[in-house]
Amino acid sequence: MRWLRALRPILESLSAIIVGLIVGSILMVFFKYQPLKAYAALFKGAFGSTGDILETLAFSVPIMLTAITFALGVRTGLFNIGAEGQMYLGAIGAVAVAGLLHLPPVIHVLAATLAGMVAGALWSVIPALLKVWRGVHEVISTIMFNWIAYHFSIYLAIYFLAQPGRAERTVPALPTARYPVLVEGSTLTAVIFVAWAFCLFVYFYLWGTRAGYELRLVGENPHAARYAGASAKKAILISFLLGGVAAGLAGASQIIGRPPAWSLYATLGNVSSLGFDGIGVALIGRNHPLGGILAAILYGALAHGGRYMEYQAGVDSEMVRAINGIIIVALSIPELWAIIKRSIKR
Amino acid sequence: MSPEFSIEMKSIHKVYPDGTVALRGVDFELRSGEIVGLLGENGAGKTTLMKILSGLLPPTSGEIYYNGKPVHFRNPSDALKLGIGMVHQYFALVPPFTALENILLGQEKAGRLSPLDLKGAREKVKALMEETGLSVPLDTPIELLSAGVQQRVEILKVLYRGTDVLILDEPTSYLTPLEVEELFKVMRRLKAQGKAIVFITHKLREVVEISDRIQVLRNGVVTGKLPASEATFDKLAIMMVGKEVIPQAVRSEAEPGEPVLKVKDLYVMSDFGTMAVKGISFEVMAGEIFGIAGVEGNGQSELVQAITGLRRPVKGEIWLKNSNVTAFGPRKLYSLGLSHIPEDKSKFGLAMNFDLAENSILGRQWEPQFAGAFGRLNWDNILKFTDRLIKSFNVVAPGVRTPVKSLSGGNQQRLLVGRELSKEPSLVVAAHPTRGLDIASTVYIRELLIKMRDAGKAVLLVSADLDEILELSDRVAVMYEGEFLGVGDIKEFAREEIGMMMGGVRVRK
Repeated sequence: MRWLRALRPILESLSAIIVGLIVGSILMVFFKYQPLKAYAALFKGAFGSTGDILETLAFSVPIMLTAITFALGVRTGLFNIGAEGQMYLGAIGAVAVAGLLHLPPVIHVLAATLAGMVAGALWSVIPALLKVWRGVHEVISTIMFNWIAYHFSIYLAIYFLAQPGRAERTVPALPTARYPVLVEGSTLTAVIFVAWAFCLFVYFYLWGTRAGYELRLVGENPHAARYAGASAKKAILISFLLGGVAAGLAGASQIIGRPPAWSLYATLGNVSSLGFDGIGVALIGRNHPLGGILAAILYGALAHGGRYMEYQAGVDSEMVRAINGIIIVALSIPELWAIIKRSIKR
Repeated sequence: MSPEFSIEMKSIHKVYPDGTVALRGVDFELRSGEIVGLLGENGAGKTTLMKILSGLLPPTSGEIYYNGKPVHFRNPSDALKLGIGMVHQYFALVPPFTALENILLGQEKAGRLSPLDLKGAREKVKALMEETGLSVPLDTPIELLSAGVQQRVEILKVLYRGTDVLILDEPTSYLTPLEVEELFKVMRRLKAQGKAIVFITHKLREVVEISDRIQVLRNGVVTGKLPASEATFDKLAIMMVGKEVIPQAVRSEAEPGEPVLKVKDLYVMSDFGTMAVKGISFEVMAGEIFGIAGVEGNGQSELVQAITGLRRPVKGEIWLKNSNVTAFGPRKLYSLGLSHIPEDKSKFGLAMNFDLAENSILGRQWEPQFAGAFGRLNWDNILKFTDRLIKSFNVVAPGVRTPVKSLSGGNQQRLLVGRELSKEPSLVVAAHPTRGLDIASTVYIRELLIKMRDAGKAVLLVSADLDEILELSDRVAVMYEGEFLGVGDIKEFAREEIGMMMGGVRVRK
């Protein structure tokens, strides 16, 4: 019976997928599409060839990281939805170091990565301090900071980082600052190893260290945390900062680890919504850093494979997005339900 | 001819879904124009009985008669229709709403979208205030009013619904002496207007002062019914706590050593902003169990929280062995040898969704055996330690990686007690350590506390269960409204004497 209990989250997710697919097909039948053909195209598009698999993996990189931002928040009892803004700033930090500085090869990649992580973390400091000092609710402060980040990043991109002669985007990352493409012709770069390593690190931190234990304890039962002598303020700060680092890395990964742009569009078009997508990924991954890796691949498959639905099964792109949305929502329900139950009890 | 009593409850039984028997055949009567005091300690069944009369709980068996006719209440509004209303111990007011809005809440005579007739309602409430002498500022938000005024709002709220039978559950808990006098004036006035009032309390002086008749409950049974004029404190105390002598658990004579815990002139504030602990001083020696008896809510929780680092005292000092630990947090106190068995295990002592292993290091997570260099958790040691706890404290659990919420209450408490007592403490603070547990776990945990005493530890036991105090303590203090009414060797006190002090009557200096 014990293995059954361990399998329960996976079984729940599988049945959620089936429910999502059924609801999606009802929608398609209603609008006179062919569900089976569409889903076949979706699957083939996502995993049909080596190139497709690589593409799916490339899509998974930023969202597994922004998922960590949200998951860390939930584990500390927070609803931190600031990944979007922190991710923008991470991209800006990476652009500045990767495009403007001239550094030796390996060092340049590391410096640009670090710049993205630090910029993301810095953007999380103020909401974190507002929460700890004044009890400002993180939903309010992070939404506001997302908007500030949005306009601030566009401003920086246009006025300080724009590529001369091409105002629609920033200076590209210099070749010394780029992660190597893994297979010629794909957009998957070595930055995925950095993302995986980061997920592993967070996993180890949460379950393998005393500080991580205390962080989870604060989220699970703040009274017991106080009894145990664990500082809630410290846990909240760490949760915000580490989440900011993850989101910053996500932003940087799209600049120095994702061809063909190697730069940030002035509309933020090549990064926008990656932070919010992380919320869904985190929920599907049960707010677990390793679950997030799998959930991000699934999410990447929907994003990448969805394109095939459009031109192979003739499903309009808006419908593709609606169906993807239905599947994501269905998958998020088990974890969302758990979070709601916990907050009602409190 | 109208019957003698306006309300009669006959042979009421109540068994809660979890199997707890709260009432075992209780009769209760009420005339209009009288105040009946319903007296008893924690868990005697007072509140349960009145929740049944006000329609909040269904009785398991038994009948209720209203003016001689049998009635069945499905919910509180059924009871309200007959004019029976209850003011609960914990206020149910909406803090940002004004007093007037709170009084009208649920009684708005308007459609969902049509405007409230605030003007007409205001006139009616004003008339009611005039008539009863209960005056409150109608336009001030509730959160800005003191506990005493909030209580008046609660009473007005119930009276506004046309109540003839008013039930007040421990109404003086959060009131100052002056506010209590005010409340009594109002109660007398209401009585003169022909209303019947049930006054639930554990306070002897108050019940004698205000009631016409007194009915005493103990363990769900009526142990006394008498006119207040015939009541004496010791008579009531015996009815409330019984007379039988509880044998002390089999054990040797205490051999008290040096004082381990010293509390000097301690003042602690409650969450409600009132002073919960008012200048208490005492010492607990190594090798003794010092018991604090008292009805819950008399400042015991705040006292324990101050001693265990969970609440900052306002004034006074706490010494653990030779250190002044008054401002210390839990972590520092634990390192000085404190073990704390908290009053609410699911709130403070355990994280219910964490597994046994994670809970077995809760509060001990920085001990070198569990966390090594860079704060890395040593899971090998943690799992071995959890196994040891399970074996040596007889915890029945499916496995060390199961969430503790799937354990029975008794096993949860065994794990918690095991974790705390295996620390090699010098001071054990145990608050209600056996509340709600099965008999086997209760006996087991009491034996463990005696073992700790025999091993030379200082044990501070706080319990609302008088039997537990009498069985375990070497010395005892009775706490009432934030003060100790008596401190001394357990042999110096008769049971009814402690009962009187629990009811707020000081027997001797």
